Amino acid sequence: MKRSTFVAAALLLAAGCNQPPQPTTSPTTGTLSDAAVAKAGANRPQIALVMKSLANEFFKTMEEGAKKHEQVNEDKYKLISNGIKDEQDIAKQQQLIEQMIGQKVAAIVVAPADSKALVPVCQKAAAAGIVVVNIDNRFDADVMKEKQLTAPFVGPDNRKGAKLAGDFLATKLKPGDKVAIIEGAPTAFNAQQRKAGFEDAMKQAGLVVADSQSANWETDQANKIAAAMLTAHPDIKALLCANDSMALGAVAAVKAAGKTGQVLVVGFDNIGAVQELIKSGAVLCTVDQHGDQLAAFGIDYALEMLQKKATPTDKETPVDLITAETLKK
Amino acid sequence: MKRSLVELGGLVAAMALLIAVFAWRSPTFLTPTTFLTIANQLPEALLVAVGMTFVVLIGGIDLSVGSVLGLASAVLGVALLRGHLPLPLAALLGASTGLLVGLLTGLVTVRLKLPSFIVTLGMLEAARGATYLLTESRTQYLGGPVEKLAEGGLGGLTPPFWWVLSAVILAQGVLSRTVFGRNLYAIGGSEQTAFLSGVPVARLKITVFAIAGALAGLGGLFNAARLSSADPNAGVGMELSAIAAVVIGGTSLTGGRGSVLGTALGVLVLAILGNGLAQLGVQEPLKRLLTGGVIVLAVVLDRLRYSGRIEE
Repeated sequence: MKRSTFVAAALLLAAGCNQPPQPTTSPTTGTLSDAAVAKAGANRPQIALVMKSLANEFFKTMEEGAKKHEQVNEDKYKLISNGIKDEQDIAKQQQLIEQMIGQKVAAIVVAPADSKALVPVCQKAAAAGIVVVNIDNRFDADVMKEKQLTAPFVGPDNRKGAKLAGDFLATKLKPGDKVAIIEGAPTAFNAQQRKAGFEDAMKQAGLVVADSQSANWETDQANKIAAAMLTAHPDIKALLCANDSMALGAVAAVKAAGKTGQVLVVGFDNIGAVQELIKSGAVLCTVDQHGDQLAAFGIDYALEMLQKKATPTDKETPVDLITAETLKK
Repeated sequence: MKRSLVELGGLVAAMALLIAVFAWRSPTFLTPTTFLTIANQLPEALLVAVGMTFVVLIGGIDLSVGSVLGLASAVLGVALLRGHLPLPLAALLGASTGLLVGLLTGLVTVRLKLPSFIVTLGMLEAARGATYLLTESRTQYLGGPVEKLAEGGLGGLTPPFWWVLSAVILAQGVLSRTVFGRNLYAIGGSEQTAFLSGVPVARLKITVFAIAGALAGLGGLFNAARLSSADPNAGVGMELSAIAAVVIGGTSLTGGRGSVLGTALGVLVLAILGNGLAQLGVQEPLKRLLTGGVIVLAVVLDRLRYSGRIEE
């Protein structure tokens, strides 16, 4: 490659290959008669759902839940759902919200990629008279105060969810046993919360956290980290993983080390892939935070705020422990 | 033009130093378990890096290898779970996906005379998008016959390890002992000169991208086997560690100089570093800092060895 093309390419990369994000307006189902559409009217409020990465199963499920909700309530509102390419792409998410302000939507339901960085642009939306509902990942309270943004939070308590899983694990071990934690991306608030929840449970049960490292939510990284942990701490009895994708990697590492049954694996998220492993016992338990209902809850809140013109209180959505027992039901 | 094996001595010494440091800091590092673990994790990284070596040798770059690995593993997963195809057929589909993407990259790059950097950057995005579409962004648990592929064989090492080891030796042989290999060095040295002396430049370049794609495709199969699952994010960022391994192994980014054996040692250095840091329980920020430092240091050392010499 010539040097000049290298420079050009580097410049392109630096520019972040910025294309304006294309909102994917979800089509209303084609089963409606024209008259019905006309009656439901052009005056249906538009509600924008702004999510994190649609490459992530959790948000995919969230979007599907939102679309189902829209179908049931298609006389009440029109959904515009958007996601960013990469969990960490804060700038892209800010642009999306700018765009929604430009489109004059009635409400924005947002799962912020960053708890602090998204507050100013959401404040801008609120100032433009748009209802803002915060879901999934909570805005930072201090920054909200500073920017004078009021937005209700609708979402699960990740720390509580992780503690549920940790408590269940503790019933299978005895005080003094060693465990290790495999964390999500170090910068993600929910990753920090889950780690804290695991730690709460371990502390309460008198279990020792021998090691805790991040595998950035990824299966392969978790596999490599878990394998190294099992070598460095041959006596650990469990691996607590901050999501199920990482739990899959941990299970493979436990199997490769010939420790199936001796080292328990805990996950979080209740993805489809992990359910079989819970039934077979390879994974002890996971936590379901009902991603499919999360956006729907947020949209309901937005609709309520549009009607009542008042800001309701925060709403904690349920987290449930999933074990082989619960899956049998 | 080619570096002799003696010149890989520096790399081997660096690796020994790394192992010594970890052995000193961690009582569990210098055990058979550690090295079996590392060896069994190597196959995918090796395949991808060997493909990258070929591309870099001819003065190109292939940023799509990580996405192609992910796509191949997704194709395998979908073929098994939704298509209910037998494993050999599903594996063939996965691997040929890699080959086809590589071929397409090669054709576009060579026929339209575009820089491979941009074409493969586009392919990185496109292949990853296709992976998400295929899997609906969901991790698929495969289990069953795929796992057998990655179960311990001779001496506790998995079959993929032995296959890939043979592939590395074969690839090095092709590079240093065949006309094809010599021609690749010639293209990397000066495409113009190679063309004028009758080397079929276009055809060879397309072949090299196809090889890189096929190897990444195979990597996808081994990745799925090792993890018993097809993760839509498999291989994210892998192109960068492959480039790092290639450069640590002494292959020149401007083309025309390098070896597969060097790359293999580069992959090994990074794997040892990753495992060692994890065994010590080093936290993510420091892990990244140290890994970056090792990569830069390796390149600096390489440059120092070559400075003051006139490259052919």
